[in-house]
Amino acid sequence: MKLSLNWLKDYIDPKLSTDELAERLTMAGLEVEAVEARGRDMVLEMEITPNRPDCLSVLGLGREISAITGRALKCPKIREHKTVTLKDLVRIENKKDCCRYIATLMRGARIKDAPTEMKARLEAMGINVINNAVDITNFVLMETGQPLHVFDYDKLSGGKIIVRRARAGESIITLDGVERKLDPEILVVADAEKPVAIAGIMGGQDAQITAQTKNILLESAHFEMGIVRRACRRLGLRSESSYRFERNVDLDGVLTGAGRAVDLLLQTTGGHLGGRAEIFSKTRISRPKIKVRISGVKELLGIEVAPAKVKGWLVQLGFKAAIKAGILTVVPPSNRADVAQEADVIEEVARMVGFDRLPAQIPVIKSANITVDARPREIKTDIRRALTAAGMDEIITLSMINAATLVKTNITQMPGIKIFNPLSQDQELMRPVLLPSFLQVAATNMNRGQKNLRFFEIGKTYFQGKERDALGVFLTGRRTHDWRASEKEQVDIFDLKGALERVFQITGTGAGYEDVAIPAFDPGCAAYIAVNGKQIGIMGRVNRSVLNNWDIKHQDIYFAALFLDEILSASHKAVRYEPISEFPAIVRDVSLAVDKSVPYKKIEDICRQQGGEILKSVQFIEQYSGDKIQPGCKGIVFSCRYQSSSRTLREDEVTQAHERLVQALSRDLNAVRR
Amino acid sequence: MPWNFQEIEARIKTEVQTVGTPQELEAFRLKYLGKKGLVHAVFASLGQAAGQEKAAIGKGANDLKKLVEELIEAKAGWVKAAEKFEERADISLPGAGQALGHTHLLTQTMQEITLIFERMGFITVETPEIETEFHNFTGLNIPVDHPSRDAFDTFYLDAEDPSAKGRRLLLRSHTSPGQVRIMKEHKPPLAVIVPGRVYRPDAVDASHSFMFHQVEGLLVDEKVSFCELKGLLQEFCRRFFGPKVVMRFRPHFFPFTEPSAEVDIDAGILGIERKKWLEILGCGMVNPRVFEAVGYSKGKYKGLAFGMGVERMAMLKYGINDIRLFYENDVRFLRQF
Repeated sequence: MKLSLNWLKDYIDPKLSTDELAERLTMAGLEVEAVEARGRDMVLEMEITPNRPDCLSVLGLGREISAITGRALKCPKIREHKTVTLKDLVRIENKKDCCRYIATLMRGARIKDAPTEMKARLEAMGINVINNAVDITNFVLMETGQPLHVFDYDKLSGGKIIVRRARAGESIITLDGVERKLDPEILVVADAEKPVAIAGIMGGQDAQITAQTKNILLESAHFEMGIVRRACRRLGLRSESSYRFERNVDLDGVLTGAGRAVDLLLQTTGGHLGGRAEIFSKTRISRPKIKVRISGVKELLGIEVAPAKVKGWLVQLGFKAAIKAGILTVVPPSNRADVAQEADVIEEVARMVGFDRLPAQIPVIKSANITVDARPREIKTDIRRALTAAGMDEIITLSMINAATLVKTNITQMPGIKIFNPLSQDQELMRPVLLPSFLQVAATNMNRGQKNLRFFEIGKTYFQGKERDALGVFLTGRRTHDWRASEKEQVDIFDLKGALERVFQITGTGAGYEDVAIPAFDPGCAAYIAVNGKQIGIMGRVNRSVLNNWDIKHQDIYFAALFLDEILSASHKAVRYEPISEFPAIVRDVSLAVDKSVPYKKIEDICRQQGGEILKSVQFIEQYSGDKIQPGCKGIVFSCRYQSSSRTLREDEVTQAHERLVQALSRDLNAVRR
Repeated sequence: MPWNFQEIEARIKTEVQTVGTPQELEAFRLKYLGKKGLVHAVFASLGQAAGQEKAAIGKGANDLKKLVEELIEAKAGWVKAAEKFEERADISLPGAGQALGHTHLLTQTMQEITLIFERMGFITVETPEIETEFHNFTGLNIPVDHPSRDAFDTFYLDAEDPSAKGRRLLLRSHTSPGQVRIMKEHKPPLAVIVPGRVYRPDAVDASHSFMFHQVEGLLVDEKVSFCELKGLLQEFCRRFFGPKVVMRFRPHFFPFTEPSAEVDIDAGILGIERKKWLEILGCGMVNPRVFEAVGYSKGKYKGLAFGMGVERMAMLKYGINDIRLFYENDVRFLRQF
């Protein structure tokens, strides 16, 4: 909403500089966003919050400024013009949609330009000037806040107005030249045949005022806020009128607006009154009597305000107020539907005191009456700590994706959750998985020459109407280089597994891995991550065809994703101390050749089965191949550590246990000792 | 002339520490014990000294000589060993080992905000992103088909709300539904912080994103006042932006608070002069209608609530001019924080 200060000064002189006025308004909740000089005028650009439709006019703001500054507001004098009542001029089908309507007929009008000063006022407020009749309706709208409309009476079929719902199939060409299809959800102002205006929003071209117009019908009405708002949405059409109607217009404004406009129209167009129709249904906002405890002011604001002061401010704001026995009875003016309860009245008091004059005081915070399991949040912090310590950077990606990115990533089984009203395809789906988000970030970075990427994200995934926290871990490019080492190596699946092991270590979770085929990953380099036999995530090397789809070239990408709630439920932080054995440990290394298909895990499992109580741990040392190993086999080296917590082990019992273990490996896995 | 033996001793002890080679050690010896050395000079001054002074200077000179001799003897062994040691580590080379990664700036900012309030006694609670119309709107005194909804354009999901037939689930457009959820389940006193992601169908540009983060705060008790809201947020701003922060509370409108305010800070302390006041958060006293919606007894409780955008706080604090940088995740951005 714009406010011309020249126009304002017709009614009130705030006796403040423009900057001071802007500051005072802003600090009273009527924010001045910008001040613009326009010739000799200054125009304030204001943000009026939706609870204050009463401030969407020059007089409305004048009233507020009067209360803030204590200066008097001079309302324009309206001369009354008597005329005959035309009984059949207006019919309203449903009084709920329109509870007040005043139609005034003026004959013999001459349509020409509006007076220069009026045009300047309107232009300062950003309103296009058209002709004297239309400009007056806009002038009164901006002055009083009451939307008005003028019709060429001779173009109204049957010479009458009917306020009704549009019929299915009806349409109208509005003043902006667009044909709009109507339906029974939309309220229209019609003549005997057809709609001539969309009620409260915009008039139609058919009955508009032209240079030839002689007889004018002025509409001043109150249309229900919800119906105007819904029609605006359906039609995608808004106007200065609808902006006010959907915020609720003062019921009493219908009469004032009509009176002011008639007075100006008669003065300006030279016409005379030809009759009037007034429909006032019983629907009338009864203003509530609000009881405000003087003690309530202290309770809500934290300071005492003298009752006389409270009353004084409210009266200046147009409220009726009376004090009796510490209780203030307040009746807000008809244009202040936003004030309906004690707190609303106290807010008015606070605005008048000035928020900045209220003292600041630190609250005493009692322990909250609420217990929250902090683990789900702590676990995230723990994981962040572990992974950043491993040199990984945290990313945060958008939860919405384009469904095409799933296809690009070979993910077809996970539907995600569709957005009903996306603005673009890039927001059409709540992601079911994290991988496409990571590939997007990787592609962006690689295009910019950043090729060594170690990322993780703790983000949500979505399916079946639910959201779930997940962890994604992503590696590509060179392994972190130690300048003392001679070779520069690329990351591989074991770097990924190492990162996951850190996660499981810090959360106290024991995880297993199981080879499996996953379409997004390379066959032979993909696994389920399992905890207590339950699948909680996946890991692997991203399939080349997927990378091609993302234009990622010459680099392998390793990725793992797992559900945090599963980690949480499997993690056990309770640890008990195990005494450190005072007796020496005996370590035996084993070097074996086994078939390439034998997983190391199997070797370790057999060791644990066979090693007995004294086998404390099995430690992998290395895997190798080469000339000395027969084709189809791999060399494995590991060590077994034997120890007792109660005695020194005898050499022969360790040897016996160890031999049993090695023989079992030869027998069960066809392993050859080297 | 009087000698300040204490000062001389201290100087010698410091000087000997810089001696590293045999040449330096010899120079040190000559400086103090040589024919033109200090100890000689002290002995020579005995001639002009008065009777009483003589004894003191004599003792001082002897002590000095003894000290220097001891220091030289101690250093000689080390110098000899150092000479034999061929390889010297070039400590100016970089250290080895894994450098630390970086938590995302939004995570850091969110943690900083929540921690400030946690230290004042608040509890952090997370509530869902997928919400119902009741939690996101109606319970917060934002009626269906009301212009106050305009500020909260919302994404709806292709999924029905199991608690309201025919109505869709939605993505919360602010963290305030957390207030409703928490109050529905718990009785005051309450002091909670709700951080999280929110969604609004905004066209993306340097200052808008359809997904962003907010932190919500709620304090409810039998006695809570607007002055305390001011005190709490003033303390927060001082801890977050620094003790020199200048703020103002400007009346505003939110359907779920009454009175409502927006808080601005003076751009000066951030080195931004473009606009004098920068809006940082919205706040107010919980509207009694919200208490009614969650089933609290009428008039029994008062509450304060506030909400702030995490991206905005980070952009102001770190001088970031484009919100898209947060979600693009360029490593050259990530690794700055």
